[in-house]
Amino acid sequence: MTAPARDTSWERFESLYRSSRDDVYAYVATLLRDPAAAEDVTALAFERAYRRRRTFDRRRGEERAWLFGIARNAALDELRRRRRVAALVTDPEDMAREDADDAEVALRRTAVQNALAKLPAREREIVALKFHAGMSNAELARVLGVSESNAGTLLYRTMEKLRKACNATA
Amino acid sequence: MPLLDQDPIDPEVAATLDAIDATLAGEPVDARYADVAEIALLLASDKPQVPPAFAHSLDQKVERRFATVASERPRRRRLGSGFWQAAGGLATGLALLAAIVVVANGWHGASSASSSAASEAATTASSGSSRSPAASGAPASPGSAHAPGANASKSSAAVPPTTYGAASSSSGSVATPPPLQPPTTGRKVVQGAQLNLNASASRIDAVAQEVYNVIGQENGIVESSSVTQGGPGGYASFQLSVPSGSLGQTMTLLSTLNYAQVASRTDSSQDITGQVGGAGRALADARALRTSLLKQLAAATTADQVASLKAQIRDAEASIDSDQATLNKLNHQVNYSQVSVQINAHTVPAPASHNGGGFTLGRAARDAGHVLTVVAGVALIALAALTPIALVVALVWWVGSTLKRRRREQALDSV
Repeated sequence: MTAPARDTSWERFESLYRSSRDDVYAYVATLLRDPAAAEDVTALAFERAYRRRRTFDRRRGEERAWLFGIARNAALDELRRRRRVAALVTDPEDMAREDADDAEVALRRTAVQNALAKLPAREREIVALKFHAGMSNAELARVLGVSESNAGTLLYRTMEKLRKACNATA
Repeated sequence: MPLLDQDPIDPEVAATLDAIDATLAGEPVDARYADVAEIALLLASDKPQVPPAFAHSLDQKVERRFATVASERPRRRRLGSGFWQAAGGLATGLALLAAIVVVANGWHGASSASSSAASEAATTASSGSSRSPAASGAPASPGSAHAPGANASKSSAAVPPTTYGAASSSSGSVATPPPLQPPTTGRKVVQGAQLNLNASASRIDAVAQEVYNVIGQENGIVESSSVTQGGPGGYASFQLSVPSGSLGQTMTLLSTLNYAQVASRTDSSQDITGQVGGAGRALADARALRTSLLKQLAAATTADQVASLKAQIRDAEASIDSDQATLNKLNHQVNYSQVSVQINAHTVPAPASHNGGGFTLGRAARDAGHVLTVVAGVALIALAALTPIALVVALVWWVGSTLKRRRREQALDSV
């Protein structure tokens, strides 16, 4: 008697979900700047990934990059939908972080948040993938569909913008 | 798939990126990158946190494997996948239908060709100049010429015994071929026929008697006959003269004798209208000459003139007799058709059954080959029909994907 076949695709998906749930949400939330929409898009992205889990081809990249590609498409679809419906409404209060930083750090944090908010969505997306999703430059390149050096250059330019904006504020 | 790195990254950029990675990894960085490191730390620490309620809800969805979610939003997904499935099924169905129609048309065309041959034969037969058992399924010879003044002949061979055989004839249920009647309206046509019959050796006599009976019934003349019976073989031949008006009926009766099968039958016709006309004109001229000579004889005054005119009158009368005989002979040929019947002793073959024959490996292999050929043909036609459809679908999919990707990128730029 043989044991029932294990659904390895499900196990892989579940493992991917456990390791990436927070990162996906953070990336989508930073990109959309709308917590409610970020929840919907995150759930939709995981559902799509679950449906397509058997179509994943490891030769085309790592599962994490594949998952963030799905999340990115879902987020961009949400942006398109919003553009058709109404202008993007940001909710900085919801995104505000309550912490116990001291005044100097709080000022710097606020300056960085303001600078980030002023970035175009494409550059904000790079920040989200790098610092909120914790991606390497290679993974970032795969998600964006560009070369790794191009992704590094984009990240560098974005950081320079943030640095200059923060210094200007200071 | 990430694009290949074509250009080496700038050293300053690489150093900054290394500093960022080191900062995120908790490693010390050079003082030159303090600002970038601080920003990196602040950005990383400012990572949006998943609301606990949402995290719990999403965990439950995942544990249920999105069962509820699937039931909540089935419409759009099912619409998308269902549409493509339906489109694919429809395209495949259309391709198969087209293949079947093409194959069916091919077969229909083939059968139409057969039907055309049959109908051509039937049409030829109905024209009355000649007939062939092709109308009953045997191959038809090329069309006969039935135009006035031309010879017409049409032969048939290997007539299926079931058509003309003794068994079928004895049952009396098989229709006999229609008699041949060439178009004779206003024309003088000599008709003839040759009939070869097969009969068992012991039935030669009976068949010969049947031939006599038919000829007597149709007021024909047996000009000559020869019947040989006994031994393993047997043979009979008849040279018959039949009134042309009853030639068709006679041939029908001779073709449906009780104890004989038609092996072959040849019908012929020849238009002699010109010959009859020529003979008639020659006869009229001869008669006119004789009348003129008689008048000259009545007016003759000398013995020499009388003798000369009498000699010319004898020649004219001889010419009249000759022309009259020629004309009578031609008219006889027209009025009486010559029919040649030959009867050969022959072992009656077992009727070939179209659907019978039993199962053999050879027949099975042949049938399997036919089936595979048809299947391969259908598959090939379906493939030929599907290929352009697939190309169009692939092009539409590619264009749609490109447009969708571009719109997504535009959405990112417009925010």
